[in-house]
Amino acid sequence: MKVPTRRPEEFLPLTPAMFHILLALADKERHGYHIMREVDERTSGNVKMGPGTLYGSIKRMMADGLIEELEERPDPELDDERRRYYRLTDFGFRVATAEAQRLEQMVRSARAKKLLPRTR
Amino acid sequence: MSKSLSKDVRWFVSIYTVLLLAYPREFRREYGSQMVLLLLDCQRDAHTAPARTRIWLRTLVDLVRTAPLEHLEKIKKENNFMRNLRNDLVAIGGCILIILAALLLLSYGRSHQVSSILLFGHVLDALAFTGILGNLIVFLLIKLTSFRPLRVAFWTFLIVSLVPALAITLIAGSDPTFNAPKVVIGYVVSFFFWYGLHWLWSNKLRPTETA
Repeated sequence: MKVPTRRPEEFLPLTPAMFHILLALADKERHGYHIMREVDERTSGNVKMGPGTLYGSIKRMMADGLIEELEERPDPELDDERRRYYRLTDFGFRVATAEAQRLEQMVRSARAKKLLPRTR
Repeated sequence: MSKSLSKDVRWFVSIYTVLLLAYPREFRREYGSQMVLLLLDCQRDAHTAPARTRIWLRTLVDLVRTAPLEHLEKIKKENNFMRNLRNDLVAIGGCILIILAALLLLSYGRSHQVSSILLFGHVLDALAFTGILGNLIVFLLIKLTSFRPLRVAFWTFLIVSLVPALAITLIAGSDPTFNAPKVVIGYVVSFFFWYGLHWLWSNKLRPTETA
């Protein structure tokens, strides 16, 4: 696995596809189609990733050490053996957190400018 | 119905497999089968013909959009590699030229018995010795490990300068004709010369440094 030498902030802002993939992998390891479905369900069908976008992002995120491929499938008996599973690395988790904080700050600014309603 | 559906899916996947040729070879080899598998999953879960058509269209748009991006990224990587290779070759050539010039000057000074060149001769001796050995070690360590190039250069030239200077002083120290300060000065100058050259290369001349 590649050891990241950069700080999480250097990766920001993430592309929407990369952030959605990190979010999909935040709670459990998943294979490509599972990631795609999770993003689709979480965004109520508003974000639909094609195979090229998904695997292009996965390639770059693996090269940057944000995610890694599992050596063993979580449930080999119930699953297609050709599937590759991915999970978040500790560094990927830090990058996802930094991006979430950045977005939170932007939403706060939008609220201050009355672009969004204030929360209670 | 299910027979015609599987036929549709097979036809679609066959076409998509051919269309994957639009991606760079390395990307296709690494992720091509996963992309086809993903598409089969999408098609399997699409229960109506319009849903399958939407997936088809979305996949085509995605391919048209992402294939050029992958090619662009590949070209960028190759350009970086070629630029670094060119810089490496220039650096190696420069080192060889300096070592050759040092050896030629040394040989000239010795053959003409130039007394004023004696200290200069010690410096050239050290310059040629540490240059040949040190640059070879630095080159191998940078290519074979992930150590930082400048740090590698510092420690390598420190060791290849310090060890011979100490060894020569200890071995030939009892010889009355041996001039220890001149030898030490020679190796100190040599260390600063070679490390300075690497520092300059790393900080000023090289546009992109490979880690």
